[in-house]
Amino acid sequence: MQLNSNVPSGPLEGKWDRYKFDLKKVNPANKRKFEVIVVGTGLAGGSAAATMADLGYHVKNFCIQDTPRRAHSIAAQGGINAAKNYPGDGDSVYNLFYDTIKGGDYRAREANVYRLAQNANAIIDHCVATGVPFAREYGGLHANRSFGGAQVSRTFYARGQTGQQLLLGVYGQLSRQIGLGGVEMYARRDILDIVIVDGCARGVICRNLVTGEIERHSAHAVVLATGGYDNVYFLSTSGMHSNVSACWAAYKKGAAFANPCYTQIHPTCITVHGDYQSKLTLMSESLRNDGRIWVPKKAGDNRSPEQIPENERDYYLERKYPSFGNLVPRDVASRNAKMACDEGRGVGNTGLAVYLDFTEAIQRDGEDVIRAKYGNLFQMYDKIQDEDPYKVPMKIYPAIHYVMGGTWVDYNLMTTRNGLFCLGGANFSDHGANRLGASALMQGLSDGYFVLPYTIGGYLATQSLTDVDTSHQAFKDSETQLNEKLNKLMNINGKRTVDDIHKELGHYMWEYCGMARNDAGLKEGIQKISALREEFWQNVNVTGSSKDFNQTLEKGYRLADYLEFGELLARDALTREESCGGHFREESQTEENEAKRDDENFCHVAAWEYAGEGKTPILNKEPLVFESVKLTQRSYK
Amino acid sequence: MEEKFINLTLKVWRQKLGEKKGKIETYQAKNISTDASFLEMLDIVNDDLTIKGIEPIAFDHDCREGICGMCGQVVNGYAHGEEKGTTLCQLHMRRFKDGDTVFVEPFRAKAFKVVKDLVVDRSAFDKIIQAGGYITAKAGGAPDANNLPVTYETCELAMNGAECIGCGACVAACPNASAMLFVGAKISHLALLPQGRPEAAKRALAMVRTMDSCGFGNCSNERECEASCPKNIEITNIARLNREFLSAGVCSTAM
Amino acid sequence: MNWLVRTFSCSVAKKQFMAVTGLAFCLFLTSHLIGNLFVYGGKDAFNAYVEHLHALGVLIHIAEAGLIVFALIHIGTALILYFQNLAARPVRYKKKSNAGGRTLASATMPYTGLFILVFIVVHLVSMKFADHSTLSTFDVTAGVFAKPAYLAFYIVSMVVVAFHVNHGFWSAFQSFGASHPKYMPIVRGFGILFSLIVGAGFGLIPIAFNMIS
Ligand SMILES: Cc1cc2nc3c(=O)[nH]c(=O)nc-3n(C[C@H](O)[C@H](O)[C@H](O)COP(=O)(O)OP(=O)(O)OC[C@H]3O[C@@H](n4cnc5c(N)ncnc54)[C@H](O)[C@@H]3O)c2cc1C
Ligand code: HEM
Ligand code: SF4
Ligand code: FES
Repeated sequence: MQLNSNVPSGPLEGKWDRYKFDLKKVNPANKRKFEVIVVGTGLAGGSAAATMADLGYHVKNFCIQDTPRRAHSIAAQGGINAAKNYPGDGDSVYNLFYDTIKGGDYRAREANVYRLAQNANAIIDHCVATGVPFAREYGGLHANRSFGGAQVSRTFYARGQTGQQLLLGVYGQLSRQIGLGGVEMYARRDILDIVIVDGCARGVICRNLVTGEIERHSAHAVVLATGGYDNVYFLSTSGMHSNVSACWAAYKKGAAFANPCYTQIHPTCITVHGDYQSKLTLMSESLRNDGRIWVPKKAGDNRSPEQIPENERDYYLERKYPSFGNLVPRDVASRNAKMACDEGRGVGNTGLAVYLDFTEAIQRDGEDVIRAKYGNLFQMYDKIQDEDPYKVPMKIYPAIHYVMGGTWVDYNLMTTRNGLFCLGGANFSDHGANRLGASALMQGLSDGYFVLPYTIGGYLATQSLTDVDTSHQAFKDSETQLNEKLNKLMNINGKRTVDDIHKELGHYMWEYCGMARNDAGLKEGIQKISALREEFWQNVNVTGSSKDFNQTLEKGYRLADYLEFGELLARDALTREESCGGHFREESQTEENEAKRDDENFCHVAAWEYAGEGKTPILNKEPLVFESVKLTQRSYK
Repeated sequence: MEEKFINLTLKVWRQKLGEKKGKIETYQAKNISTDASFLEMLDIVNDDLTIKGIEPIAFDHDCREGICGMCGQVVNGYAHGEEKGTTLCQLHMRRFKDGDTVFVEPFRAKAFKVVKDLVVDRSAFDKIIQAGGYITAKAGGAPDANNLPVTYETCELAMNGAECIGCGACVAACPNASAMLFVGAKISHLALLPQGRPEAAKRALAMVRTMDSCGFGNCSNERECEASCPKNIEITNIARLNREFLSAGVCSTAM
Repeated sequence: MNWLVRTFSCSVAKKQFMAVTGLAFCLFLTSHLIGNLFVYGGKDAFNAYVEHLHALGVLIHIAEAGLIVFALIHIGTALILYFQNLAARPVRYKKKSNAGGRTLASATMPYTGLFILVFIVVHLVSMKFADHSTLSTFDVTAGVFAKPAYLAFYIVSMVVVAFHVNHGFWSAFQSFGASHPKYMPIVRGFGILFSLIVGAGFGLIPIAFNMIS
């Protein structure tokens, strides 16, 4: 497989502008002749669909939920970065770029990250123009806050609901285009296959989630913006419909999957309480602006927090990382929480929690100030834990929150399959081995508002695509295959529920591919996952009919894909014999237990290629070349 | 509160896809942790039904953290359950007592057709937004974000409306199945911001007309919406909508 | 003129029609009550007030015509709203609870309204269109109030009016969008006060009549 990143040459700062100039363009009248399928209505998909329709393309947009406004981008709490330097603390595009690439432990593509940092300011401007009510200062100008891995305040926010407000902005733009007829919206649809004609992506096969009907849709190009695969762990902060299915179908149709093992464990999530639990809830990173993380100094100290005097508390992040303190990147904060708990210093019933304490901030600023900043988060915590965080420190623990890995794309955001593009959380592009807070929202909007609408023009202008409609044999074949798979699933009639098997998969993933990984564990994990997959196809129970609104079936086919994908994730983790960012191999750590990279052997993107049913996937490497930054051991001390 | 385990009798509305009628079925929810959420309780009941070969209860949900607006049922006659300011996915079983009988019904309105069991079609909300719930702006042409100052108070007010999650509980709770709180929240959000003013009159007329054509009822200022809204959206937003409508209808040049 | 129809037929406009007409009725109630207070001055004072009112001539006819038009609008719109609202929820809940917004007054608007309509008809027939050729207005009125059944009906009606206005008054302001954090509490307070004044004010009138005659 050929991995050509198509990164333009020349100095970093001018690459994107020059590239845009060089791109072939489609003239406005011709845009109307092109149809583009966009899968997903999150920040990435929604913004891409709306912007392309505004430019004149005919867009078909799909999502699983009943309306585009419910994509999981809605759940993002903390904020979105941009180097506006409004607070005047010396921020710059280069600074944002540098923090992001360093935060990603030098495993991202330099040119992509620089472009992201460049687009950030325009994103903020556009969001404000579309009515996003970012927080303001009393003087009427915008307020900013700090996020992990940065020493400047560059995060724009709307209370604790930044993702919601950004997505509603996008949804407004999308709705306008739906009203004008530029976008045809297909809600409650599951994209389950990509149709390839003459080597190019020309359509999709989807299941209508209401009627169970299988539908075919053709287009000149297909864009996937389906979000992350977090739910391979069963418990995560992702929405319940998070899936890898569309990207997995793409993988099987020739779109390489990159760095699946780069998963992010977020340090501040509400702790797990029972096996009935269906998902985890994040407590935004922004809380670390004011909350202090600590555990008792002594192992096994089970006094209640207010009874533990100041000098018997260990504010371990402030102690170990004086210059970043509680605002170290997520991977660092998570690993340290795990270490503290492994030492027996964890708190709460299970000993799997650390304190996030606001006492000092409340004393300093008053409860009202804290309420104004984080009110909804505190309320959410109270609802779930039944404990008032204004009075008692929060108990938090790391949990799966984000995945940096995803479908491989080049500088154009095109996958290794011609005409198939991938945006936002679903692709692998900009975060390397660890994502800094407030940069995923930025990436989704950058991809959708300001990158794809141009680069797709470059693709469409240079292709001579024949007319293809849904009666083409390729559509028939895809549909037949899909129907076979669904029928097989419906007819197993085993003894275990889908959720039950999914929980077991999640358990293996967390156990063997979680916060710390090692050779033996990963090998064992791979075996267990593959055995579970066998069991699934023998023993799962999917009730009802496939031609009906059938949520069990939906969960079933999503799990079927996760059971295949989980193995690839573990395989990727096994082959990457270094630690970097969120991928921590126990064999590769510094004396202070920090992640130790191996730049000599692993400074590359691992792009996995499908080799056929039951065959070991092929590993392709895209070397990462750094022209502007120097690779150093990350230090937040 | 300590974790406890409780048993409940559920009276759940079941309705097949494509059928106009349904009926209440009785199920037992056994050994439910008071720390579980209402939807997790339904998960447990569904797993139980599956093992017995009965089709599980269909219900909508996604984020399970109170922000996507996808969940929503009428529980014991309350949209999203009795607890104030809470979506159903954030309602915890500690609010119920051992032995309770719990009625679970779909959101009911002519504009929200039942799809199956507890799942309803809320696409009418999308139609209302498509009619004008946005600000027209091309990607790339915007002035610097700080060019238009917005006072802190105005921004907070706009945000109070913008927080609506589009769940439809206001419609479900309203004795008249009116959508005024939802529409009022969006109109307020956009009308308060200077960016939203140029289209304000057109927006108010178009959104109200579309709302009417979807078959929602009329507002009688009964305030059940406000009392049921999981995001505590206030009826002052409805007042603002009425004001915007009046000035759009009488003073503006918008037709 | 298409815009006129399109705008005035909207749900919000309908509510605003209810509000203007309803508030106009509130004004009417106020003036009617003030006039009726002359009864406390005795029979002659009351008859003099009626005399004075009739002396206004055409003005009084214009006011009456206005009230009739307003009544037609208020009642007609109320009917449309009522049936539309009923149709907006074709399948009812098996179990429905009050989340805390509704009050007895707000929940019963259509019924209290209907009751008022019946009252108005009875009231007009027995007072306004009664035979005034031989008796003074005071005597006609006192005669009607002397009947215990009518007296009870009248007092109950006034309580019903008080309920209707209790919700109606602030609701009309809300319908116009006249909601302001500083003034809305005053409007609500005044609405309650007004409903009490109307209920008690009118409710005591027949008693005054009976005492005086
Ligand atoms: C709790 C939480 C908090 C976060 N907080 C922040 C933050 O503060 N700052 C930040 O920068 N980032 C944050 N993130 C990360 C960020 O929100 C996401 O990475 C980003 O929103 C992803 O956007 P997206 O458009 O790629 O995908 P999503 O918003 O997940 O959208 C995916 C879309 O694809 C559709 N879809 C998926 N699969 C299919 C299929 N098979 N067929 C059809 N449609 C499909 C879905 O219906 C949906 O419309 C947070 C994430 C979470 C979970
Ligand atoms: C003394 C006479 C009356 C007065 C002072 C009065 C006053 C009011 C007021 C102020 C409102 C509130 C309007 C709003 O919310 O915008 C109202 C609403 C209403 N009135 Fe009356 N009214 C009177 C008679 C009637 C009659 C005779 C009827 C019907 C037969 C009636 C039926 C209604 C109904 C149904 C509403 C509620 C409309 C809604 O909110 O949907 N009223 N009235
Ligand atoms: S106003 Fe409240 S109840 Fe109505 S849709 Fe919005 S969030 Fe839901
Ligand atoms: S599931 Fe998203 S709000 Fe309840």
